[in-house]
Amino acid sequence: MSEQRLHLRVNGQAYELTIPADRFLLDVLRDDLELLGTKEACDEGECGACTVLVDGRAVDSCIFLALQADGADVRTVEGLAVAGQLDPLQRAFIDEGAVQCGYCTAGMLMSAKALLDENPDPDESQIRAALEGNLCRCTGYDAIIRAVKAASGGRS
Amino acid sequence: MSAVIAVPQVGLIGQSTVRRDGVAKVTGQFAYGVDVRLPGMLHAKIRRSDIPHGLLRRVDVSRALALPGVRAVITGDELPEYRASRYIRDELILAKGSVRYKGEPIAVVAADDPEIAAEAVRLIDVEYEPLPVLSDPEQAAQPGAPLIHPEWQTYWANPVLRRDGNILNHTTLLRGDVEEAFAQARHVFEDEYDTQIVHQASLEGHVAIASVDLEGRVHVVSSHQFPYGLRQDIADILHLPLGRIHVTASGLGGGFGAKLYASVEPLCVLLAERTGRPVKIELSREEELAATSPRMAARVHLRTGVDSDGHLLVRQGVIYYDAGAYSLSSPGTSAVGTLMLPGPYRWQALQIDSYSVYTNKTNCGSYRAPGGPQATFAGESQIDRIARELGFDPIEFRDRNAVENGDLGPAGQVLTGVSLRKTLQVAKERSRWPQAQDRPSRPGVRRGRGVACNWWTTTSGASAAVIKLNDDGSIVLSVGATEIGTGAVSAGLVQICAHEMGVAVESVQIVSADTDATPYDFGAQGSRTTFQNGQAIIRAARDLRQQIFALVAPGLDCETDELEVHDGHVYRRDGTGRAVPLAEVARLGQTVGGLLGRGSFTAPPTPYDPSTVKGHTYPAFNSPSFHTHVAEVEVDTETGEVTLTGYHVAQDVGFALNPLYAAGQVTGGATQGIGYALMEEVQYRDGTVLNPNFTDYKLPTIRDVPTIDVALVEEPSEAGPYGMKGVGEPAVVAPAAAIANAVYDAVGVRIRSLPITAEKVLQALRSRELEG
Ligand code: FES
Ligand code: FES
Repeated sequence: MSEQRLHLRVNGQAYELTIPADRFLLDVLRDDLELLGTKEACDEGECGACTVLVDGRAVDSCIFLALQADGADVRTVEGLAVAGQLDPLQRAFIDEGAVQCGYCTAGMLMSAKALLDENPDPDESQIRAALEGNLCRCTGYDAIIRAVKAASGGRS
Repeated sequence: MSAVIAVPQVGLIGQSTVRRDGVAKVTGQFAYGVDVRLPGMLHAKIRRSDIPHGLLRRVDVSRALALPGVRAVITGDELPEYRASRYIRDELILAKGSVRYKGEPIAVVAADDPEIAAEAVRLIDVEYEPLPVLSDPEQAAQPGAPLIHPEWQTYWANPVLRRDGNILNHTTLLRGDVEEAFAQARHVFEDEYDTQIVHQASLEGHVAIASVDLEGRVHVVSSHQFPYGLRQDIADILHLPLGRIHVTASGLGGGFGAKLYASVEPLCVLLAERTGRPVKIELSREEELAATSPRMAARVHLRTGVDSDGHLLVRQGVIYYDAGAYSLSSPGTSAVGTLMLPGPYRWQALQIDSYSVYTNKTNCGSYRAPGGPQATFAGESQIDRIARELGFDPIEFRDRNAVENGDLGPAGQVLTGVSLRKTLQVAKERSRWPQAQDRPSRPGVRRGRGVACNWWTTTSGASAAVIKLNDDGSIVLSVGATEIGTGAVSAGLVQICAHEMGVAVESVQIVSADTDATPYDFGAQGSRTTFQNGQAIIRAARDLRQQIFALVAPGLDCETDELEVHDGHVYRRDGTGRAVPLAEVARLGQTVGGLLGRGSFTAPPTPYDPSTVKGHTYPAFNSPSFHTHVAEVEVDTETGEVTLTGYHVAQDVGFALNPLYAAGQVTGGATQGIGYALMEEVQYRDGTVLNPNFTDYKLPTIRDVPTIDVALVEEPSEAGPYGMKGVGEPAVVAPAAAIANAVYDAVGVRIRSLPITAEKVLQALRSRELEG
């Protein structure tokens, strides 16, 4: 497999790497950049644990070729808190009991972030639609829905 | 929406304090097993059997060994008899001579990176001589069935078990005169039920890292629920001195019972010893779903006799649990079925025979409330049928037969802290039973509502705690308990410690789950962590308070029993004298070598009647809890599709130490039960798993589960801290029956096999039409 240059920004930091063309973004993040917050649970685009934002769009990084992110702005769970201040979503996930084992949490947060960036005041069915691709085996989802509502602009 | 039927409490207990690991988990800093990376670490992969049953004719690893980057290859043939499992030593950690399920480990490879290890695994040639495949536990249990373990009599086994050929354990529960009771019965109901294999599917699978230090000590970090049990397993399996093994639990991305026994760890240890390098094994999702320890399938034959007034008289049941190819926890789990099949009702006579049986499938194991969901699906489906056919309201019928304090449990335990009627009442109110239901959302759809009840245990087992007072008055709590994700350790135990020591939760640091650094704990299993460790902490805190008071009393001119501690200070109870900060006490304590409180706890065993059981490893439920679930469904009569539109749980938790996280366990457990009811199944055909991935193994998504209405009922236990009972497991038990009963209410057909798919419902509707 041919090696290729990859330029990307992750959480505001610029990186330049040489990678095989078939390398997935998840492996670049976890293995090359040692950003371990993004998780893998199925490796085939079915669980959402590996969700990151690529130019603001939520993608499953386990099936997203890293080269597709060339030149893009990537945001991972490590980039959610700004200057030590938790994002309101992070705070709400803790306060509402939306975190149990936490293995789905990075992906949930990034999917929810993409939703709120686009629609600051989603109703419950919009939240369910946006998080449909994110599996959680622990919580049963109610707490996650409450957390997204609590972090959103309104109280719908 | 959730509500607590609350007993008011003072202090930190009963409050929803926030978990300690929350910030690390939402910022991506929390280290799970998959995140552990050691310098020089090798990656290992397992060569697994391609067939479900056969003789191993040849295992040729020469091509794998020749691959650059491969550091070691180990096969079963080079190993002594390294055998696993706690009930029956029937499983070699690497097969030799034969394989008994598809996916059984045959060889293991360590290499510089995971890709090389995977390639090497592909290069290992294996030749087999296939043998017949046994898939059905009931058939495999029959006399004359081919034996999956022809040498079964040579295995070491727990002496309580009643084994015979393919039967790992035959448990019998017999109480009263069964024949006489059936003779008295006015109505007798007879049914057969089938449940499927389902997987824990924790999002993080099995992963472990082993290394060996210069002194020859073995260090294992594993995503594991029971570090002390794992240490014992490794010592037993590899014949190593216990003291040479050091186990720590990494952060866990879920477990639900899947991570209670040694799995990949002994292989990691052998490879680390062989290569002198740290070795990591991380299973893929396919390996998880096809070759780790899911919940057993079961077939249940059930016969129940009822008198003319709607009183249950007698129940006779036979359960065949499908253990898969090796024992793991199955012989104990199948025994639990004998306590669950009768349900929380009064009986004159009971006869339950429960078998765990070998088949050529992956070893089944423990999954949340092991043994319970299968039996309760059968038992509560039939109770519903009886109620309906005798013209009773299903809640009223259960209430009429419910156990009360002082009644006998199935094996003769005297029941205390009984709350079934209370949970029935609460569930009834919250579901507005039996008022008219909402109209169906569209034409062609029928609505229905179903109820199911169960009881469950709080597993005992030892826990110990050490509490250290730091010089600044802060506290270090050391427990062997493992934070599996529930919040039991990171919130519950911290909360209890802070409450008992009179400090803020922020003042308590916690060290846990390390066999070198922390005291014993029986593991994150059986809904026991907060219950057992909580009592140990209460005792350790009492010990430490005594030491503190002994140092302070002379200065305050009083006896130790006139002192109390809160807000980080020691006070005289009568309000006189000065408040002594804990920091000052700690510095005084340095002169006597520091202040350290110790406590341990094992819940006293619950007495039962030994004459009622044979082959039983779990004959009584400790501090039992009681539960009522109500499911509301819509069934599409054209497609058979079942949609869950509402769900209510009334769960007795004894005392809600932390209502937010207690409710979280109920919601999460019920959701797994909903998956069991409607969609999940590890599908086997002739020993091959057809759906070892999340595309085809369907877990409930956020679209499948409605808001779950949780009511925490508090009927205190005698043995638990502040009256607590175990919380984590039981909500997974009742949903399948509640939903099946709701489907019946909606469209009048009984689905007796799980999962309740659209096809099954449609087929049942069609055959009813044909019968017309
Ligand atoms: S790991 Fe990427 S979707 Fe599951
Ligand atoms: S919190 Fe464990 S998978 Fe969601």
